[in-house]
Amino acid sequence: MVEEISLKEIQRKVYMSLFEDGLWDIFLGLFILGWGLAILTEAAYLPGLSFIGIYFVMWGVKKWLTYPRIGYVRFSATSRRRITARFLILGVGVLLVGVMAAVLWGIGTRPQWLADYFPLIFNGILAAIVCFVAYWARVNRFYLYAALIFLGAVFHLWLGVRWEFGFIGAGSIIVLIGLVILIIFLRKYPKMVEEAHDSDRQ
Amino acid sequence: MTDNSGEVREPIIKIDRLIHEPSRYMLMAYLYVVEVADFLFLLRQTGMTWGNLSTHLSKLQATGYVVIEKEFLGKKPHTIVRLTDQGRNAFEEYRGNMKRVLDNLPAK
Repeated sequence: MVEEISLKEIQRKVYMSLFEDGLWDIFLGLFILGWGLAILTEAAYLPGLSFIGIYFVMWGVKKWLTYPRIGYVRFSATSRRRITARFLILGVGVLLVGVMAAVLWGIGTRPQWLADYFPLIFNGILAAIVCFVAYWARVNRFYLYAALIFLGAVFHLWLGVRWEFGFIGAGSIIVLIGLVILIIFLRKYPKMVEEAHDSDRQ
Repeated sequence: MTDNSGEVREPIIKIDRLIHEPSRYMLMAYLYVVEVADFLFLLRQTGMTWGNLSTHLSKLQATGYVVIEKEFLGKKPHTIVRLTDQGRNAFEEYRGNMKRVLDNLPAK
């Protein structure tokens, strides 16, 4: 039993190390900001573009910033397939939300309740997707981000705040938190001196 | 072993002392849950010094439990470590033996 617990804990530690640099937080925050800007500018392509663009930039930054500080790990093929499947589900979920939003907003006639509560439904679905990420990644602060996203719709419906400002506000807070985590990470893990990497030095 | 404590002594004798050392157990455990990890990752996760890490990995390599290779991450070389099949089997056998030892302990 102790054996099982410690292996599970080690696996959890390894997964958590992927989120220690705050880059995933910044990625999510910028993506949410993208939604806000999309609504503001009526540029429906922005969220998709930002998702893809930021994703690739983030991996580049990880190679340059994160790996030289905490090292590199590659999960087993089974784990990689599981992670890829979850990302695909996530991506499809986001795509469906975007398509749903475009279709429902584009059609002329829709039920009044849908028109009234559409922001709540839309933000609720986005928040649910972020909760899903929090659950499988076991990063509790993502539940807070989900709450911020949902609150944007609540503020819009009951306090009259413009819908896009809810996204911009939530996205900005998430990016800010991500930056703080990143700064803490950079201070905690200085870059290792190249010569100390030499494994032949024994 | 045929004495009364035979059931307990057999698994204890079979425990792999190379893996049983806490630092090496930790290294084997980390390598067991991933496919490969580089020196720096193991250093950060285990809190060992470079010297300690090198020493323990050398012993595991000498026994054939791990393989240490140089790889390129982009253009930068780095040293990666992976468990061999022998190492993976040895670790699983170690876990099984430890479990038997602990399970066979008399109730308090």
